[in-house]
Amino acid sequence: MKSKKEKLVSFLIGLMLSFFAVLALFPFVYMLLTSFRQTYSMELDFSLQGLSLQNFRTIFKNFEFGKYFFNSTVVVVIACLLNAFVSSMAAYGFEKKRFRGSEALFRVYLATLIVPSQVILIPLFTIIQKLHLMNTYLVLALPVVNAFGVFLVRQFMTGIPDELIEAARIDGCREFKIYYAIILPLMKPVLVALTVFTFITTWNDFVWPLVAITDGNKSTLTLALASLQGNYATNYGLVMAGAALVFLPPFVLYIFLQKQFVEGIALSGVKG
Amino acid sequence: MKTREKRKKLWQGNGGFLYVLPSLLLITLFYLIPLVMTGYFSFTDYSVLKPPTWTGLENFKKMLGDPFFRPAIRNTIIYTFLTVPLQTVLSLWIAHAIASRFRGRFGRFLKSALFVPVISSMVLVGTVWKFMLATRGGIINNVLGWFGMEGLNWLGESNLALVSVCMVAVWKNVGYFLVIYYAGIMDIPVSLFEAAEVDGATGWQKLRYITIPYLKPITYLVITLGTIWSFQVFDLVYTMTGGGPGTATVTMVMSIYQSGFKQYQMGYASALSLVLFVLVVLVSGVQKRLFGREEGSAK
Repeated sequence: MKSKKEKLVSFLIGLMLSFFAVLALFPFVYMLLTSFRQTYSMELDFSLQGLSLQNFRTIFKNFEFGKYFFNSTVVVVIACLLNAFVSSMAAYGFEKKRFRGSEALFRVYLATLIVPSQVILIPLFTIIQKLHLMNTYLVLALPVVNAFGVFLVRQFMTGIPDELIEAARIDGCREFKIYYAIILPLMKPVLVALTVFTFITTWNDFVWPLVAITDGNKSTLTLALASLQGNYATNYGLVMAGAALVFLPPFVLYIFLQKQFVEGIALSGVKG
Repeated sequence: MKTREKRKKLWQGNGGFLYVLPSLLLITLFYLIPLVMTGYFSFTDYSVLKPPTWTGLENFKKMLGDPFFRPAIRNTIIYTFLTVPLQTVLSLWIAHAIASRFRGRFGRFLKSALFVPVISSMVLVGTVWKFMLATRGGIINNVLGWFGMEGLNWLGESNLALVSVCMVAVWKNVGYFLVIYYAGIMDIPVSLFEAAEVDGATGWQKLRYITIPYLKPITYLVITLGTIWSFQVFDLVYTMTGGGPGTATVTMVMSIYQSGFKQYQMGYASALSLVLFVLVVLVSGVQKRLFGREEGSAK
């Protein structure tokens, strides 16, 4: 039986936490409300009058946000597929098919995790220029493969018994088939988490596209939002419509895959 | 027959390397080689138009006279010292409060709500908050007005601008660290809390003597990660203040970007990158030792 005082404390803490939740969500509510209004004023207005899709029509029609949306989508799809395959293959190699020096190489992989991407921005730019990869979808997706994904999948793969692979081998299963027909399906939970992670980081990425994309036609949605904000700073409704468009895909995915989102993140933290 | 068997053996014995190869190529091309190049470029004069020429320590000498370098370092450090402690304490407290009082639907809602900023892009966050913090007509100043308080020039005043950016960063990060802390708290054996309850421990005592000591490895992670993120701050500043007013919110990465891609001094920008890298390595090393030692003495 909880005491009266204890109940009051719980109530007050609950109140405080509710305030935090409101604080966390309010900017997004504000963004959405403003995006449906033809407005040059920033007044918060909860009334449902005067709501229209005009801003969205304008950013699609006059500012080509459809194109940027498409670009971002293509980049994200490439990045997710690439990272899932490359990381799971590497994890399989490191965990189940150890070779001479594999542990040492894995440590090198882990060491690269400390290199912030901004530190290598200049040489990266030089390299992709030399390789004629500027303004391509591929170049926005390629650097997403990193040691984190390999580590994450390997962590999960330790739980798969070697006997399973042995049995498949005895049954005459070809080596590569063991990977894609037996290992890959078993990796589904961790690959979903990794894909969610890849999606978020690629969709939201800003610095790398800012450097690697100079052709406006290949702009990503995030880049487009930044320039919209820079050039039409006082057309709040318009800019907020752009922001809403950047916000919605990850948000919708989050609503459906909340568990995987949170698990993926918690995993990356606790184990990383 | 024999060669086939041999080949099969090779495939089974060393085949693992082939699986690792694609990632090795990408990591070499996009992490290892660039890192070496950053080191080399740091000692050169180099721009897009002309190839790097060796200039020794010239770039590092130049930093001392660079009017942006000192503010960049100073701002980055202030930013780190403002955001990291605040977001660490806040996320730990919220995780503890949810875990000990609101494990039901309300707690789940709280975690979900606080996670929404985490999944949003920094550019979007910066854009929305910039509007909300606008001096004239911004929603924040309006709300202050309801309570009879005077509005502030959040992003336009030198001393305040950096603090405002920091608060937005904390707002964005808390949900992330909250999830990590919460997972950590879930791993603490329930028997510990039960024993403490039998002994009549208060919520605060449980936090102080069970949760915090138990979560030390996670706190290390949260602080290290938070610090490294702070060193990398760019998007938020780029969208909210552009580094201004004056140099009040210029950060390390912003000065790298400016000198590399606006002034095309790529050698100098590489030298700045090298400084950033050394700082990141130093900080993670120091924090590891700090936490490692404390853990050792506790045993």
